[in-house]
Amino acid sequence: MDIKKIPWGELATSALIVSVVSGIIVAYQYEVSEPFISTVAIDGLLPFGRFFRALHFYSSQFFVVFIFIHTLVEIKKRDIRTYPPWRWFVLTMTIPAAVFALFTGYVLRYDATGRSAGAIAEHLIAKVPLIGHILDRFIIAIPNEGLNRVYLFHIILTILLWVLGTWYHTKRPIVTKNTLNFVAILAIITAIIFSAPMDEPGLNVTLIKGPWFFLAVQELLRYIPPIFAGIIYPITPVVILAFLPRFKDQISVWLFLYMWLISYIVCTLIMWLS
Amino acid sequence: MTRRSFLKNSFWIILLGMGAYPLYEFVVSKRIHPPKEVRIHKHLLPGQYIGYPKFYLFETKNGPIAVSRKCTHLGCTVNYEPNLKMFICPCHQSRFMWNGTYISGPADGKNLARFPVKVLKNNEGYVVFVPRGA
Repeated sequence: MDIKKIPWGELATSALIVSVVSGIIVAYQYEVSEPFISTVAIDGLLPFGRFFRALHFYSSQFFVVFIFIHTLVEIKKRDIRTYPPWRWFVLTMTIPAAVFALFTGYVLRYDATGRSAGAIAEHLIAKVPLIGHILDRFIIAIPNEGLNRVYLFHIILTILLWVLGTWYHTKRPIVTKNTLNFVAILAIITAIIFSAPMDEPGLNVTLIKGPWFFLAVQELLRYIPPIFAGIIYPITPVVILAFLPRFKDQISVWLFLYMWLISYIVCTLIMWLS
Repeated sequence: MTRRSFLKNSFWIILLGMGAYPLYEFVVSKRIHPPKEVRIHKHLLPGQYIGYPKFYLFETKNGPIAVSRKCTHLGCTVNYEPNLKMFICPCHQSRFMWNGTYISGPADGKNLARFPVKVLKNNEGYVVFVPRGA
């Protein structure tokens, strides 16, 4: 099977649609004022709650994984320098937006992992020079506002991703029936087999592992100041990718990006295995 | 840039600024919340402690101490290890003594915060004042 012929972009959009639909269903019983209790209730008490939350969780995971693969495959296929720079810039911003949307989902369940993830994100954002505090107030601000703003951003980013990924990018708001069916069935089967993760309350653990896509950052934060490990290091490839069409020496840029990716995978593995 | 286009751009920038300022003020402002009072109806003897989601309360010979569980590195909730008599951060492994004094790890010398504690009359218990945002 030729990986380049698989419609990754369409798969990503389909996963987003499944994620949105399942997210709306979960939202009927989710209470932002009691995030942990309502999530536990969805999982443990409400009929089919565990399935719907797992469906939302795994379809969202699929969306982010598909969008990563779509980016890598498409960049290899075509000459990026022919792409209009502004359009390319906007599209690359969908990658951090997708990751952040997924991340806010982890925070919203507000178990030990979610609470820690929220606290770390808040402290890291506040460390952005000059605008850190303002950014924090706009996006997170958990100690004063609870999860209101995180929830708001979870929804805003999802709408933004759909708008950018469809109307702006492909000019069509929906996907083919076959692709949607395939992703929906894949997500449903996964959700039937696996539950969405949830920490037990009151666990006195000495190590919490964050979301899989932030394990490398978590590992580095143990040794390197937050501004480097938590902001500069993860943002560097996004900035480079955003301005990729403007670089004349594409090979050096690619070499750098691959080296960064390898370092990220190595740090992830160290944290994962610890 | 011609004078006309300069004036036109300036007009739009000023208009945008005028629109952004109220938005900024509205979103960034904090509503004032009083500290949360946690009442503990239990009398502890020196050396005993009790854990809550936001703090641990230790009774000592010199009076009670409420130690915040918010890690001074990046804000994770630290857990108390009774065998080691220390707090360990599950996120990045900073360590603190039972009284919040920094021992090791990326928290970089910063001790855990302490919250004000009031002892109730007739040793009926304690009130811990947890600041909003702590």
